[in-house]
Amino acid sequence: MVEGNRIELTEDEAELYDRQIRLWGLESQKRLRAAKVLVIGMSGLGAEVTKNIVLAGVKSLTMMDGSVATKEDLCSQFFIPHSELGKNRAEASVERAQQLNPMVEVKAVPHYPEKFADEPDFYTKFDIVCATRLDLPTYLKINTICRNANVKFFCADVFGTFGYHFSDLQNHEYAEEETKQIAKPVLSSHTPNKRAKMEKEAVKVTVKKTDKFVPLQAVVDMDWKNEENKKKLNEMDSSFILSMILLSFRSKQKRDPSPATREEDIKLLQSIRDEFLTDKSVPLEKVPDECFRTVFAEVSPSCAVVGGVLAQEIIKVVSQKGAPHNNLFLFNPLSSCGTVVSLGNIPSQNSKQEPVDLIDLDDD
Amino acid sequence: MAAEIPGVFESSLQDFVKKSKVLVVGAGGIGCEILKNLVLTGFSDIEIIDLDTIDVSNLNRQFLFQKQHVGKSKAVVARESALKFNPSVSIKAYHASIISPDFGVSFFKQFQVVLNALDNRAARNHVNRMCLAADIPLLESGTAGYEGQVELIKKGMTKCYECDLKTASKTYPGCTIRNTPSEPIHCIVWAKHLFNQLFGEDDPDEDVSPDTADPEASGKAGDTALNTEANDTGNVIRVSTRTWAQSCNYDPQKLFDKLFHDDIKYLLSMSNLWKTRRPPTPLVSTELPDAAAGSSKEEDSGLKDQRCWSIAECYTVFANSCKQLREQFALLKEGDHLVWDKDDKYAMDFVAACANIRAHIFGITQNSRFQIKSMAGNIIPAIATTNAVIAGLVVLHALRILENKLETCVPVYLRLKPNHKGHVIVPEKVFESPNPKCYVCSAKREVIVKIDIERMTVKQFEEIVLKKALNMHAPDVTLDGQGVVLISSEEGETTSNNAKTLKELGLQDGSVIVADDFLQDYELRISIVHKAYVKDQPEYEVIAAAEDLVPKPIQEEEKKNGSKNEDDNVMQVDLENETNDVRKRKSDSDEIPTKKAKVDNQDNGYADDIIVL
Repeated sequence: MVEGNRIELTEDEAELYDRQIRLWGLESQKRLRAAKVLVIGMSGLGAEVTKNIVLAGVKSLTMMDGSVATKEDLCSQFFIPHSELGKNRAEASVERAQQLNPMVEVKAVPHYPEKFADEPDFYTKFDIVCATRLDLPTYLKINTICRNANVKFFCADVFGTFGYHFSDLQNHEYAEEETKQIAKPVLSSHTPNKRAKMEKEAVKVTVKKTDKFVPLQAVVDMDWKNEENKKKLNEMDSSFILSMILLSFRSKQKRDPSPATREEDIKLLQSIRDEFLTDKSVPLEKVPDECFRTVFAEVSPSCAVVGGVLAQEIIKVVSQKGAPHNNLFLFNPLSSCGTVVSLGNIPSQNSKQEPVDLIDLDDD
Repeated sequence: MAAEIPGVFESSLQDFVKKSKVLVVGAGGIGCEILKNLVLTGFSDIEIIDLDTIDVSNLNRQFLFQKQHVGKSKAVVARESALKFNPSVSIKAYHASIISPDFGVSFFKQFQVVLNALDNRAARNHVNRMCLAADIPLLESGTAGYEGQVELIKKGMTKCYECDLKTASKTYPGCTIRNTPSEPIHCIVWAKHLFNQLFGEDDPDEDVSPDTADPEASGKAGDTALNTEANDTGNVIRVSTRTWAQSCNYDPQKLFDKLFHDDIKYLLSMSNLWKTRRPPTPLVSTELPDAAAGSSKEEDSGLKDQRCWSIAECYTVFANSCKQLREQFALLKEGDHLVWDKDDKYAMDFVAACANIRAHIFGITQNSRFQIKSMAGNIIPAIATTNAVIAGLVVLHALRILENKLETCVPVYLRLKPNHKGHVIVPEKVFESPNPKCYVCSAKREVIVKIDIERMTVKQFEEIVLKKALNMHAPDVTLDGQGVVLISSEEGETTSNNAKTLKELGLQDGSVIVADDFLQDYELRISIVHKAYVKDQPEYEVIAAAEDLVPKPIQEEEKKNGSKNEDDNVMQVDLENETNDVRKRKSDSDEIPTKKAKVDNQDNGYADDIIVL
């Protein structure tokens, strides 16, 4: 997917990225340095993702946000200096984001994504689009544009201490290391005349795979009255339903729950929950009231958790190394649990599995 | 700042955060992330300590540091950078070691919680003891690559950091290193020993010349070899390698011919060794193969570090690094020596070149300098994302500790791949209770130490057993029930004992001594078992004082294995198919079986690795 990975790293790059090259290899680092990433929504979560991606050493990172920085951003948005409150979030973030790594082109687009609704070409310039803090209809629209342009799409939110991220990578080709048990004769100098004993040995082989993803619409369209889905919903971590409730709140109220109207907003959230769960005949205890006490602002440590997991997914996708989460990651701070679930009738994965060298992966 | 905005947290938590005082130990990968989270969450009274300075290879993840900060104090720069996130908070930075009388029990008692973000076992052990003594909750964390962990340590409630056996670092028998290497790592260990023999601290256990006492070479072959050698070249082999090298002014060609020709010929003469092995091929400096042996994995790379050098190239690098190191060595004061450091260009060049030349001689796969650096420096790669996730989990736990919900702070692991339940961030269901036989946190603090009391001096016992193996800082030691002071932490009080053997001071098989560390507020009873020293065997063994635990000896080899690892923190990594399984998950037994082993920086493979509990 990323072009230009044949260009050699400079000595400076090799020195700066030494530790991560030791982990993911030189080839992955070359792919990273060719990648162009767009992050939409520069609140705390956007800042965490941006930090990790800029540190990793991509070609360019573009921050897009039409809103201005508020005091609430200071709960987790560490790029924005206190003196820049009231200024555009993306523009106020450029300086500190750039300081993290002078080798990355850091840019700001001070607009809402609506501005580019009729300019799908805007998105095709990127390899990865990572959208945060938007309402569900906007996520769906951008997802469609990305799908048509073969751009990998992520969306994510942190609500207080809860969070999730969703991935639509369309058809994603990657290499993965697998351990295989191979029977091998045991050579022994002591028993040269006996028949060689066979012993199983674990051997690491790299295989090429392709995973299929579904658009966010497929998750939204899920029929929760269908028995199988209903079972899934009941078993799933409650942070999924909580995220749906908060996205619903965002669409209806055109804002997120506010610390200033804490108690009223908790009541609103409870009523959305009651309606949502009753409709699907899920017991209300599935999302206990306790959850709503910790959904305000974006709390820094949770931005770090969700932004860390999400940035690692982006690195995985760009470097085409390792199986990405397909397709939803949920973080529940009450249980300290991070879960990957697959929703929306993901087609069965008929991945090719042939031993390859990572270098041989086709650029698609 | 979250705690400064009413309504973000419940008001009780908001109050706790604003009023609390926390300590962050370590300002590296996890430390930078923790500090950021604390400041943004609204903690306003933070202290941070780190003795380290900033290196270029930190900058890909320790995001509070930039290029212009290289060489400066991590704690000081981390403080300055984090203050920009909220200039109104108070952060106190110490550019110091946490293992110091400046940070005693009363220092630790100031804090509501201590957050560890360390990279070595010695400091972790020490902070563990300090927090136990002060009865302050400690959040221990670590990462390795894509994986990491967070764990609460609370006196009487959870396991302490030292309740579990720590995996010993891998060691190699002396004769494998000196006579019969078969893997790249054997050549790398030999090359590091050679560095020390020529320029570093002299250690007789790190001899690099052929080992004629190799049991495999015993019998006539060895004798013949020895005689032949003595007849032909006098007694060259018996002269210390450094003395000989200095006598020829570290002439690269002479060094090369001795190490890679004469010594190899000598090994060949020990013919017993080569009956079932491929014999080594001596090299002559004037006739070196030009082609690179084997191609490296990253063959399209133009970086010299990533390429496999030809033997001719190895010789050039060897010759150049010898010259450079000789000059560095000459600048030192009489009696001083160089210390091998993976980040020192010439020290690393020297080891890479020598390891590859030796590998070539023995028909072993050669590696790039980049790969050799990983092995020689025991680098555990660390990345920004893993550190961020773990630091986030640490601070979420810290919030629960402030709310006094300690029971919810279960150990949490970050995995590379989801387990069968789809979890990538995996909480344990319950706490493991303290090990009743733990020699650190149990009521009965006892160990058995097996040593040669006729050989080991008081000073050696203090340095090797008490400080390195048992992690004490400044112990006072008395013979139980007799009031005889063996070691005093007061300077000069027991200096006259230092050179004496333990036997000379009245110890015998079965003696019990009491070691008391004032700083750690820690007292340990040690039963001495006399065991005669055997060559190539560890000088001591530490065994938990419990009958049902079977002691197993672990060899001490790479004890001077270079510098500490600056690569963040530790970790509990999944070691699939490994035998050194330390703790399996009890609570999550339906989990895909993973074996957990505490693997700290192996290059911290000091004596602490040979504790067997």
